[in-house]
Amino acid sequence: MRAQFKNTVSELAAQDDSIVIVLGDISVYMFKDFWEKHPNRFYNMGICENTLVSVTAGLSSQGFNPFVHTICPFLTDRSLEQIKLDMCYNNFAGNIVTCGATFDYAWDGATHHAYTDLASLRMLPNMEVLHLGSKREVDALIRSQYKSPRPTYYRLSDHPHTIETNTEFGKGTVLKNEGAPLTVMTAGPILTNVMEACRDLPVNLVYFHTLKPIDKALIEQFRDTEILVVHDAYGLYEAISEVPALRMRYHGLPDAFCGWYGTVHDIRKRIGLDPASIRAAVQTLLEDRSQAARPR
Amino acid sequence: MNDDICRKIRSEILNISHKSGHGHIPTSFSIVEMLTAVYQTMRHDPKRPDMPERDLFVLSKGHASLGYYCTLAAHGYFSFEDVYGFGAFDSRFGCHPDRTKVPGVEASTGSLGHGIGIAVGMALAAKIAGTTRKVYTLIGDGESNEGSVWEAIMVAVNTKLDNLTVLYDNNQSQGRCLPIMNPAERFRAFGCDVAEMHGHDLSAIKQALARPTDRVRVVVCNTVKGYGCQTLSENVYEWHRRAPKPDELNKLQEELHAGAI
Repeated sequence: MRAQFKNTVSELAAQDDSIVIVLGDISVYMFKDFWEKHPNRFYNMGICENTLVSVTAGLSSQGFNPFVHTICPFLTDRSLEQIKLDMCYNNFAGNIVTCGATFDYAWDGATHHAYTDLASLRMLPNMEVLHLGSKREVDALIRSQYKSPRPTYYRLSDHPHTIETNTEFGKGTVLKNEGAPLTVMTAGPILTNVMEACRDLPVNLVYFHTLKPIDKALIEQFRDTEILVVHDAYGLYEAISEVPALRMRYHGLPDAFCGWYGTVHDIRKRIGLDPASIRAAVQTLLEDRSQAARPR
Repeated sequence: MNDDICRKIRSEILNISHKSGHGHIPTSFSIVEMLTAVYQTMRHDPKRPDMPERDLFVLSKGHASLGYYCTLAAHGYFSFEDVYGFGAFDSRFGCHPDRTKVPGVEASTGSLGHGIGIAVGMALAAKIAGTTRKVYTLIGDGESNEGSVWEAIMVAVNTKLDNLTVLYDNNQSQGRCLPIMNPAERFRAFGCDVAEMHGHDLSAIKQALARPTDRVRVVVCNTVKGYGCQTLSENVYEWHRRAPKPDELNKLQEELHAGAI
């Protein structure tokens, strides 16, 4: 997804002088050709996330369309106030692009795990929040949103899905509609596991890449079903909750630091986000519903 | 003449604080000459605050907004009377400046350590665009306890922003917790072109701003909180965030107009 980000932005920058890249000493080699082609629009600014965001706001104030990019927790947790005030409150737009989603840097431990970004950025007025799941989504949504008058957050992962989805900003995708009483809703790359888990189960499956604004009209279509949110971060459950009075459950992160290493797959398995565990969770819910419906 | 404008600004700061019940008076007083020097130096047009070719100023220490508003008023952006609603529910003039409400304000500030980074971005934008635009920002010594200030300075120096001027209000506000000793030396160590002066010498500050440089310029202004009123300068903690009562207002105005500032 990072390579797609670079390719898309490079293509756009060839035609649009307003694009400026601000890096926090990450993805630098990947952007080498951009740097060579546009040296005055490429800044590997340093490991100074607060200033990266403030500078991005300042560039935006003067009519540029900047992309600030570095590792997720350091940009979105450490610099939350810069995003809130310098971008959102000042109404200076710009593009915030992170890598290292959730457990992408599993082996680096909890300092590098990132799961609060979507939820916290969702709460900021003016913000657009994207949990991108595939390379197609990266390409389409950067193209459609990079000149948005609002700050836009793009969360990239090293483990994209390859499933065809609607890439229109603000729109979700119904991947399975069986008229079932249970609907699984998910977002981002974990769709790979959710799809595998639910493929032959009698549930509906709805997917989102845009968490803010969330596609309320689509959610409304499943109001009469029970909704199971399966997500490897915080933010989607809260976004769906914007639609009032839904029957919802969450299957995702524990309220604990995930103090293991290994790979993203290792940690997903440990906390129940591998396909088998997700399937078991859905089946349990289906059995509970079935027992509740049985006459006593 | 210059003394007159600075005295007028201070006088209105007192009046507006009294009338509104709000305001950080000593810190607003300490930056009057710095602000006046900037607005008497930079390219701007009060009748066209969004003039495309204007220079930019960002008040990073946003809590000195009352001094900022009164300086803008003194230079014709709006009337002093407009500011009399300072801090009121439906006023445009909040206790920290909002760029979407106040003509001439380029960035909304308040949380310390943010404005300087935005100013660095503005100066970088001017470089990329190839314009001669200059960017000025005013930071406080207390604000400079924030690490983001020094991040921003490092980035500005590393990106060779010779169009950026940082005015440093050295009013000794952090003497009781985390003082920054020898700020001029520190900025020099970061690679800036540093001038240090009496922070209430308007002509000296203007000369420093006019001098050509090929580096990030820092003007360290050694100021006095509450400068111009003995009562304020001798009781800065008591007056840090306080509005004068009627008898206090009269006394402060007398001190202000009796003094040779």
